Amino acid sequence: MKIKKDEIIWLILFITPAISLFLLFFIIPILFLFITSFTNWDGISADFVGLKNYAKLLNNKTFIRSIINNLYWCLTAAFITVPLALIIALLLAHRSRGWKVFRTILFIPQVVSSAAIALLWLALYNSEYGLVNYLLDYIGLSEYKDHNWLGSIRTAQPALIAFSLCYVGYFMVIMLAKTAGISEEYYDAATIDGASQFQKDLHITAPLIKSAFFLCIILAVIFNLRQFEFVYLMTNGGPANRTSVLVLYIWKELSIQRLGLGNAAGVIMIVIGAILLIIMRKILKSETYN
Amino acid sequence: MIKSILKAFSIAFVSISLTLISTVSSAEITINWPSIWVGKDSKTTVINELVSEFNAANKGQIKVVIEAQTDYDIYAQKLTAMIATGKLPDVFTVGTELMDALYRSGKGMNLASHIGSDSHWNDVYPDNALESNMKDGKIFALPYELFVTPVTYNKKLLKNAGYDEFPDNYADFFKMCQAVTETGKVCTSQMTGKNAWTSMLWYSQALASVGGPDIYEKGLDDPAYVKAFEIMREMYNYTTSDAIGADAGVSGGHFLNERTAVFMNGPWFIARYTSDGIPGLHENIGVAPAPMVSGGKGGPGGYVGGRQSSLAAGKQSDPKKEEAIVKFLKWLTTPDNVARLSYSSGAMFIVKADLPDDMDRLFTEMNAQIGEAPYVAPIFLNGIGSLPISNEFPQALSALVLDEVTPEGAVQMLKDAQ
Repeated sequence: MKIKKDEIIWLILFITPAISLFLLFFIIPILFLFITSFTNWDGISADFVGLKNYAKLLNNKTFIRSIINNLYWCLTAAFITVPLALIIALLLAHRSRGWKVFRTILFIPQVVSSAAIALLWLALYNSEYGLVNYLLDYIGLSEYKDHNWLGSIRTAQPALIAFSLCYVGYFMVIMLAKTAGISEEYYDAATIDGASQFQKDLHITAPLIKSAFFLCIILAVIFNLRQFEFVYLMTNGGPANRTSVLVLYIWKELSIQRLGLGNAAGVIMIVIGAILLIIMRKILKSETYN
Repeated sequence: MIKSILKAFSIAFVSISLTLISTVSSAEITINWPSIWVGKDSKTTVINELVSEFNAANKGQIKVVIEAQTDYDIYAQKLTAMIATGKLPDVFTVGTELMDALYRSGKGMNLASHIGSDSHWNDVYPDNALESNMKDGKIFALPYELFVTPVTYNKKLLKNAGYDEFPDNYADFFKMCQAVTETGKVCTSQMTGKNAWTSMLWYSQALASVGGPDIYEKGLDDPAYVKAFEIMREMYNYTTSDAIGADAGVSGGHFLNERTAVFMNGPWFIARYTSDGIPGLHENIGVAPAPMVSGGKGGPGGYVGGRQSSLAAGKQSDPKKEEAIVKFLKWLTTPDNVARLSYSSGAMFIVKADLPDDMDRLFTEMNAQIGEAPYVAPIFLNGIGSLPISNEFPQALSALVLDEVTPEGAVQMLKDAQ
């Protein structure tokens, strides 16, 4: 459709606010981030240092560990949290008795402050008075009676990631909503053909909510790339920097006024995020989540 | 019609003008103070009283508003950002670790001219106290709170383990720890969470005992840093199972609830032994200098401590507001008010104040020990003079305690953090 000359002005007027906001709150900050990443800016003064910040980061064990930990979070979300949410969504899609209650219960963690949940789990995991060890001891696993889940190299990361499964409700709701748009005719036809409920879930429901499933995977990866509050509140990246994540690493550098170095880490994080998104688009094939 | 409109406009204009004039002429100056002395802090009650009294005495002219900052780490980060952006609060407290940044930013209020023109300051501060905060002829912060960190121990728990006195050397200290453990209690409160405060104090004590009070001038290559980590490794054999990752609340909580026998913190914690400890805890507590490392360069009875916080203000463009802030700072540094703060909380201040004879027993005992101490060395957090290193200390300590690194490896982690 050809745009008329007198409509061009209105077009510009209408998109200018959006473009301005995008420039102001996205493009300009990223440019600023990129430029200052080549300096030793400490909030007060800045000198150009070239690629020194990047070299320092790529040789820093804690930074590399942070990237790996973020990948753990992303993979756990993609391969455990979201598939679990899919299974729960398929079960709740049957609309069995009490399904609304379960849907509500599973969604509750979304509406509770993540900081409150983190502090709650911090108390639950405590080795001296936490409920987790008490229950394990009660069922006979007394070797865990004094185990410091968040203070052990072996269990700190799994313990951190494990409780994040309580956020399965968010993805479950997205996929459950998608099931509402599936026509009953498919299920009627399958019933006539003698299909079991499991077969209906596998061959009708699951394929038809594939786009929502892939969307949830992408969202899960993005959320976990930005993981911060749980790690900060529960372990602060410890013990021995073993649970550090990128945003926490950046935050620590910024808090000790190494802003140039922190911004360089931010640039690397943006690049990693972009690469992950490109990979996911290729694997999941863009047309399936339109 | 036009006359009516003009009449209405005139009335409106005059009304608004009178309102504005009256507003300007009776403008109350508001001083915002993001204060960390809130909530459970032992100085909260008296600080609130002082602010209320100041506001009442200056009603209609000056009003101080406290903005509660309940977490010191978050406050420090907030202040760091404020220093970087130049948007400093009207009044604030600043720790030693941010003083350099504050001075370099040039955004603080220069108090030098006020100090020079008012005898109050030289009357209330010891000689050279204010000069020590001067840089290039400017004073951006008034030294205020001091601290030392004695060992506090539960006399009852030590007695149950067969000890009437606190050991003065580490060999005997660890024997005592073993004895306490055999009674079913845990010997020491430790923590690696956040800034590892309690353990950092122990490390500071051990470091000064091994390397002498001037250890920070010798750099991380000095073997004292390794030796102090060896002591910490042994220390963690006698602490609670949740020490790794624990924060100050957990570490202090164990001692307040008589789960541990030995603790280390500053004088501001004295009031909490009564307010938050189990009944009778305060009466059971003794204070002592940290044990000595045999053969070390520090003598017996040595302490660590330093300046806890200074009072500062943001640069003001309004001279009246600047005067109001200076007036409030004078109020906070008035000897009688400082004495009230010290009496109620047990905290120590650099301002000269006549303390009552019935100060808390622990405060009096600690003061007596400081008087005989061969030195008061800086704590590691301040003495090392590097935020990256002090930031990495908790991680190095947890790596050491979990046997991921040797004491030498822990020191290397600190070096690599620079």
